Amino acid sequence: MTVRAGEARIVGAGETEYVRHPAVERRTETFIAEAVVNALANAGIHRNDVDGFAVSSFSLAPDHAIDLTWKLGMTVRWVMEDTNGGASGMNMLQHAVRAIEAGDAETIVVASGDRIEKREFHLMTDRYNRVGRDYLAPLPLNGPNALFAFLTQRYARQHDLAREDFACVPISQRAWAGKNPGAVYRAPMSLEEYLDSVPIAPPLTRYDCVPIVSGGDAIVLTSDDKAKGLSGAGVRVRAYRALFNDENQDGDGVNTGFAKIRDDLWAAAEARPEDLDAAFVYDDYPVMVLAQAGDLGMIPGGDVKTYLHKTLLEENWPMNTSGGQLSAGQAGAAGGLHGLVEAVRQLRGEAGERQVERAELALATGYGMVLYSHGSSHCAAVLERVE
Amino acid sequence: MSAPFTVSECASCGYVAYPPRILCPNCAANDWKRRLTDNGVVTEITVRRPVFKRRQLPWGNWLDQAETRLAVVQSDAGVRIVARVPEGVEIGDRVTLVAQASTAIALPGQVVEGRPVSAPVSDWPGRE
Repeated sequence: MTVRAGEARIVGAGETEYVRHPAVERRTETFIAEAVVNALANAGIHRNDVDGFAVSSFSLAPDHAIDLTWKLGMTVRWVMEDTNGGASGMNMLQHAVRAIEAGDAETIVVASGDRIEKREFHLMTDRYNRVGRDYLAPLPLNGPNALFAFLTQRYARQHDLAREDFACVPISQRAWAGKNPGAVYRAPMSLEEYLDSVPIAPPLTRYDCVPIVSGGDAIVLTSDDKAKGLSGAGVRVRAYRALFNDENQDGDGVNTGFAKIRDDLWAAAEARPEDLDAAFVYDDYPVMVLAQAGDLGMIPGGDVKTYLHKTLLEENWPMNTSGGQLSAGQAGAAGGLHGLVEAVRQLRGEAGERQVERAELALATGYGMVLYSHGSSHCAAVLERVE
Repeated sequence: MSAPFTVSECASCGYVAYPPRILCPNCAANDWKRRLTDNGVVTEITVRRPVFKRRQLPWGNWLDQAETRLAVVQSDAGVRIVARVPEGVEIGDRVTLVAQASTAIALPGQVVEGRPVSAPVSDWPGRE
């Protein structure tokens, strides 16, 4: 990254509305298309100038990336499809940056989206992989919530946390969601409301689990040369590191692979966690926000309680300022781009009422792909605003 | 149908894998033997309420949905197992691990159940 850094820029981001019960005519491909159109409009780039396309979706089958280039009328020199769920957005980002640096393409749209409702969600999670289908679905597991209930209990033991502590994550993100017209949950949430909400898989309740929505997300990248002709700030990927299947599911799932890429990431970024103006940490569950933030060095002294109550709740530090997936919703694979889209908005100064002052340096992560007991995929990028 | 619960053990280096892998993560050999894993300790427990009254599994058969008590069992063989446990089993309890075929038709997977160590197999209420 450091060798050729500065050649690729993120110059636009777009999202569809997130819908709980989409009309029949709204399909996965129309959600993705809408996100692509919105991101291109935001970048000020015409469809005909796109020469690279990447997509991630759980429900696009039997279509693939190439079908979408056809339906969107794009002629591309570079095409990619990613299957890494919560890590897909960040993985596609890395490949798109490299493609632009290598000259394989100059202007790339990275998109994701799903039309997904409760039934499709459970069909999808029941056959998430072979092991999930054969060893977990028949228990029955009923989706990933139980696995993350286990991880939450484990993390709670290690850091001496109660539900009142975990509550700080969804409550503080909800405060941000109040300023995001696109979020599914926008009303401020009290501690009582959180504690009294419907149990899903104890200790997890409704507000520890992402609302399932349909929608799409997209970003646009181009060369720094071409970015000069566009209005608005660009976003440069200062450093990117990833690690997949680092412990063969033998670890405890809450001491994650992010700890193994942390030093390398910050060294490559020539920055420290305390330099961040905002962070967009993949929030499928509150416990994973904490595990990632801690492993990436964002929790001083490993004091999770203080981080929760002071940094997140009291100071409302800019963590997942869209409200995150926990408040804005998880549109299937688009969850993997959701944080990145919000990061680009913040760094370009386009986050409206929730705009963070002086947003110049941000962290975005992708996490996911449960193989048996916990996520296997870890991606992190340090992003900076460039004029 | 229930059966003794076994995990895969690398015949070359002894690495224990569950669910099974192809190449050993430790030594890269592809030579596995079955190892009986009787017991373990429950480390986490949760309860999943049914999402639907009936659900169709990926291979087609329908399952009536009831509340499911799910646990992580740290097995004596060293690997963590996600298992179904009956009412009364709590965190910290030692359980006997028993394998059940995952469905009526033959598939490679299985359901692991963690039964109280003292309970005889025939008394298992969920036995099919």
